[in-house]
Amino acid sequence: MGTYIIRRLLLMIPTIIGITFLIFMLIALSPGGIGAGLRVAGGQMEATSRALQEAYLEDRYGLNDPVVVQYGRWLSRVSPVKFGEREQIAPDGSRQRAPRAIDPPVGWQWITDDLAPAAAEPFAWPDDATEESKDRTYRRQSNAYAQARARSIAAATEFEQALSAYLRAVDLDKFVFGTGKVRPAAIKSHTPNRDLPEWQTAQALGEQALAEYQGAIDERQNKITMLRAKPYREAGVPIIPGTLSVAMPDLGVSFARSRPVSTLIAEALPITLLLNVIAFVLIYLIAVPSGMLAAARSGTAIDVGLGALYVALWSFPIPLAGVLAIGFLASNDYLGAFPVAGLHDSAADTFAFLPTFSESGAFQRGYLLDSLWHVCLPVLCLVYGGFAVLSKQTRAAMLENYNADYVRTAKAKGVAPRDVLFRHVFRNSLLPLITMFVSIFPAMLSGSVVIERIFSVQGMGNLAIEAINLRDRELILATTLIVGAVNLLALLLADILYALADPRISYE
Amino acid sequence: MSATTPNPPESVTGVQLAQGIGHQPAKGFWADAWSQVLKRPAAVASIAWIAIVAVFAILAPFIASGHPLTQTIDGQTTSPLIDNLSSADVLLLIFGIITAAMMLPKRGAPRSKRGAALVLAAIQAGATVILTAAIRSWFERRSAPQFAQDAAAAAAFPYALPIAIASLLAILFLIASRPWQSFAARLAWVAMIAVVAAGVISFKWTEPLERFDYREREAAGMIDATYTLIPFSPGQTSTSLFFEPPGTTLGEGLGERAAGRLPPEDAGKRFILGTDAQGQDVLTQMLHACRLSISIGLVSTSIAVVIGVTIGALMGYFGGWVDLLLYRVVEIFMAIPLLFLLIVAAGVLPRNTYVMMIIIGCVTWTGAARFTRAEFFKLRNQDFVQSARSVGLPLRSILFRHMLPNGVTPVLVDASFAIAAAILIEAILSFLGLGPVNQPSWGRLLSDSTNETGVFKWWLAIFPGAAIFLTVLAYNLIGEALRDAIDPKLKKARV
Amino acid sequence: MTSQTHAVDDTKPILEVRDLAVSFDNGKGPRIQAVDGVRMSIYPRQTLAVVGESGCGKSVTAMSSLQLVPRPPGRFDRGEILLRGLEGEVNLLTLSESQMREIRGNEIAMIFQEPMTSLNPVYTVGDQITEAILLHQPVSPGEAQEIAFQAMRDVGIPEPERRIKAYPHQFSGGMRQRVMIAMALACKPRLLLADEPTTALDVTIQAQILELMTDLKQRLGMAIMLITHDLGVVAEQADVVCVMYAGRVVEYGTVYDVFENPMHPYTRGLLASIPKVGERKDRLVTIREIVEDEAQFTALPGADKGVRPWWPWHDAPRDLAAKPGPAGDYELREMVTDHWVGLWRTEAVAAEGEATRLPDLAFRKEAAEPVA
Repeated sequence: MGTYIIRRLLLMIPTIIGITFLIFMLIALSPGGIGAGLRVAGGQMEATSRALQEAYLEDRYGLNDPVVVQYGRWLSRVSPVKFGEREQIAPDGSRQRAPRAIDPPVGWQWITDDLAPAAAEPFAWPDDATEESKDRTYRRQSNAYAQARARSIAAATEFEQALSAYLRAVDLDKFVFGTGKVRPAAIKSHTPNRDLPEWQTAQALGEQALAEYQGAIDERQNKITMLRAKPYREAGVPIIPGTLSVAMPDLGVSFARSRPVSTLIAEALPITLLLNVIAFVLIYLIAVPSGMLAAARSGTAIDVGLGALYVALWSFPIPLAGVLAIGFLASNDYLGAFPVAGLHDSAADTFAFLPTFSESGAFQRGYLLDSLWHVCLPVLCLVYGGFAVLSKQTRAAMLENYNADYVRTAKAKGVAPRDVLFRHVFRNSLLPLITMFVSIFPAMLSGSVVIERIFSVQGMGNLAIEAINLRDRELILATTLIVGAVNLLALLLADILYALADPRISYE
Repeated sequence: MSATTPNPPESVTGVQLAQGIGHQPAKGFWADAWSQVLKRPAAVASIAWIAIVAVFAILAPFIASGHPLTQTIDGQTTSPLIDNLSSADVLLLIFGIITAAMMLPKRGAPRSKRGAALVLAAIQAGATVILTAAIRSWFERRSAPQFAQDAAAAAAFPYALPIAIASLLAILFLIASRPWQSFAARLAWVAMIAVVAAGVISFKWTEPLERFDYREREAAGMIDATYTLIPFSPGQTSTSLFFEPPGTTLGEGLGERAAGRLPPEDAGKRFILGTDAQGQDVLTQMLHACRLSISIGLVSTSIAVVIGVTIGALMGYFGGWVDLLLYRVVEIFMAIPLLFLLIVAAGVLPRNTYVMMIIIGCVTWTGAARFTRAEFFKLRNQDFVQSARSVGLPLRSILFRHMLPNGVTPVLVDASFAIAAAILIEAILSFLGLGPVNQPSWGRLLSDSTNETGVFKWWLAIFPGAAIFLTVLAYNLIGEALRDAIDPKLKKARV
Repeated sequence: MTSQTHAVDDTKPILEVRDLAVSFDNGKGPRIQAVDGVRMSIYPRQTLAVVGESGCGKSVTAMSSLQLVPRPPGRFDRGEILLRGLEGEVNLLTLSESQMREIRGNEIAMIFQEPMTSLNPVYTVGDQITEAILLHQPVSPGEAQEIAFQAMRDVGIPEPERRIKAYPHQFSGGMRQRVMIAMALACKPRLLLADEPTTALDVTIQAQILELMTDLKQRLGMAIMLITHDLGVVAEQADVVCVMYAGRVVEYGTVYDVFENPMHPYTRGLLASIPKVGERKDRLVTIREIVEDEAQFTALPGADKGVRPWWPWHDAPRDLAAKPGPAGDYELREMVTDHWVGLWRTEAVAAEGEATRLPDLAFRKEAAEPVA
């Protein structure tokens, strides 16, 4: 059984990769592509700040790379198994790694024949260096590099614009993209006409762009050297030093909320799990007896009535249930018996845990009861659908097993009807009920999206919807990852339970 | 006594059954199942409800429209209602009439054949409309400047494009319908559909207006208008009329000053079910939303069934590494809660009805795939497949002619439930604000009914909610009846 | 009521089925008559073979003895099934459910055709055998397990201590049937109803199981109702044969009498259609050609007076008795000593009155043969 579990856990990995890949590609399909939420509308920014912004985005996310490469980059960030040198964790929690290589400005071949390599200065920390001084030095270097890079990008952009003006002037429009960028093919096939004024502007700008580029790669090299001197502690555990290590997955930073994604998820996931687990347990507790009752009274009015109830509950749309619950039971226009939003009273922190009576006899709910009271309606809305489905399944399984041959044998042995029902029929009916796990759990997670929306519960569902609306790519991907993983774990649990319950199944 | 049935009439022996006494003749499989379904009052009521929704889907633009039925300016009468119908509206009406004419009479070809011909016609006409619209919008976006220049091309386009597409599809469907009937009959049918579709699209090339200034003009005495039954259109918003409870008249909603300017018969028009957040009449929206619900149900499920059965058949027939690979794909779709996937898809893709139909179909196919795969695994080893292979029949033939008709039964029984699920999904997506834009939807109305503060607008919850509930319930009841008819073990079991 | 072996009177039958009729509700049409006027009796240490094709009502007859026929669709129209014990006889059809439960597995046990599906897959074999024991005997679970070991040894399951914890799917078909037999015999019943116990097994295993059953019959003094459609098994194992068709008994007699001198055309057809080793033939005889031969139906003594074998595919003869008997137009009559045939109840047959004997044969093969 142990090997089976490990095998399943390993098989989860390609499935999760598949899921996240699917979502990544979907986001890439959207207008704006994969970088939509990240490219903050910066129309009013001046050129250098926008260039800085772009440089940062480019460095972190590689937005100009093909989509598949971007996905690979995200995957390697998220994976606990990391290749290459280990990242280092700065005091503010951000992770530092070697900056990506910069491309030389487009058209550099017309300005010079050779690019000089970056000038590397050796570096070592002074003896009296402290954590703060290292941090400060590194940050200064980082900044220097960022500025140099921004200038390099700005200069390269100007150069490219001048180049496209030149190309248009010599009637080579075909090499110019609509956006003003220049096709690299132009460089190979054409020798610039040095007499034209457009060319001279371009050449001047080109030389400047190259100078800035040189400065940038020098600063980059400095930064790399400094990083190699390890200003901070390294993240994770090395397996093969320098090549393989294991570290915590980095889920990224939510762009819309400027907080690390892992924090957001750590806040939202327990809430969703709480709601769903309570609902799940309740469903099994009430649906199984109900289904057994319907099976035992099969064909009578009770069975028919219960059957009608199941179909009606199953068809009842979950948004309607939530809305009616809030509207009639919670809002003060009508019954007002339940709280309208959230999971806790606003003053919940001041409550004692258990219900208390104050001296004047007034009843104070206490934290426990308050939570239960808030959880009532959302859980009710999550439970009714699963209850209907599971009851029907229970009834069907019981009836099918009741006609089995071994029941005939049991009766022929003289077993009493109650024992036949519970010991023989029900025990065998457990198996399809466990299989139902597989469909109920994902359905409940889906349902909780709607319920969290309606009841303003800050769970994973709500998080996902906000992420979608704000095109917050990191958050969308991380939520999908977590929800998919939770789902797969639940399915694995169901399979293990099934193997335990059915002696015919052996996973050896 | 010399009776041939010596047993008392209240019982028969096995021999008598074998001789045909006391036993009803058996019908065909599906015919028998269907007749059993029709015996259940719940199923019959459900079919009736769905028929009502379908009728409203077809007739909505005629029953509920803000465009007047007739409009008289200076003695000349026109019909803005008819002028502002879209090609889809007209084609649906024609389709509805043809369906009624063909399916109701008892004599003639068996109903299933007639139904199949109608379904093919619907797909052909629908595909013509969709393709024309898609290509048209792509064309006009890409080549707008050139178009404006060339007047001749601009004039010919509304005719050339529909005719071209209609002809193409006609040929396609002619080939596709090969198993049925004679060449001449099919040609006539397909050609008629093509001509009608192309004609309507060309005729209704200009987009309908969304301007509703009739009341102001009536008040100013410029025109004389009579309206249809429910004189509001779905897109007819009004900032002063939002969240009116049911029964409010136009006059009450607009307030005294504005109401005074209206002709009295207009001021008395009621919002029978109230208005929503943008001042649109709820009843109108609900009637127009019938179309969305029916089309989403049918189209999404068809797409899902086609994809699912294909993949399932491939997995089931080949087994081996094909099965291994494809089942990983199935697992991926099973592992992620579907609503999550749909939310992401709906959130990032363009928000129109067709896209929604396609994404729902592309996401809910796993059930059909697993059913088909299981059935194929079971069938592979059965004798009739072995004999087909031993005779040397090609793979395609074995798959389509022999295994598919048998293997598809559980999928078809599940189809009704799948339609119900698709409608529910669409309602949830619209409720979350991710539904098609500019398309009335029951779910979207539902979402207007509450927010965190503020009054509970019960009419926006109960009426659209009831519509969703009844439609989903109807499909579920039909599905149950069908399943019980086909799998009688459950019904007859006695504890 | 614990059973005691060997102490029962050998001269009286353990079980007597008298004019049993069972019908089933068909839903939309008239009720279906599964069994209509069946009579048979079984003596201690006797094997009664009930032979017939599928659907002739043999299983329903056996299951009726234990009231295992599900009663909303099924209904006992008339008749009695008498179980004879120390205190006298009792009509099993009139007992309440709780009274029946004392008999099932205890006085009368039943084994079925499909050993795989007849055993509960989620419980061990030991659990299922001891369940039967604990239901009927006032023993502790430990003692019950000892009894189970013994039962398993008796049926020839090797290493019972190890195998008692195994699940049914871990046994082969033959072994499973042995488990079923062990389960059935754990409480030492007086009568074993075996509904086609070897049909699902291959021939060699079949032989072993049948041998086992005979051996146990001798040792425990049990009676066996063996339901089968295999005439070879009948010839080997049966003492008395009861041939059924369409819910009625068409022939009843000792195995020698029925095989050597079949009187009903159907029995003749059955026996004639068996291919015999060493015989040369161009084509096999079918049952159909025998029963469609009019001559066969006028071969009985008294044919000229209207004595005619009952056959449901024929129209009733014109001289049917005006007053129908308890089984309507059919009657089981003793044509020759200890040999009964199912007849149309014509005037001639009815005229002999009710004076004829009901089927009642205390014949046992091993008693007739010299002990080897």
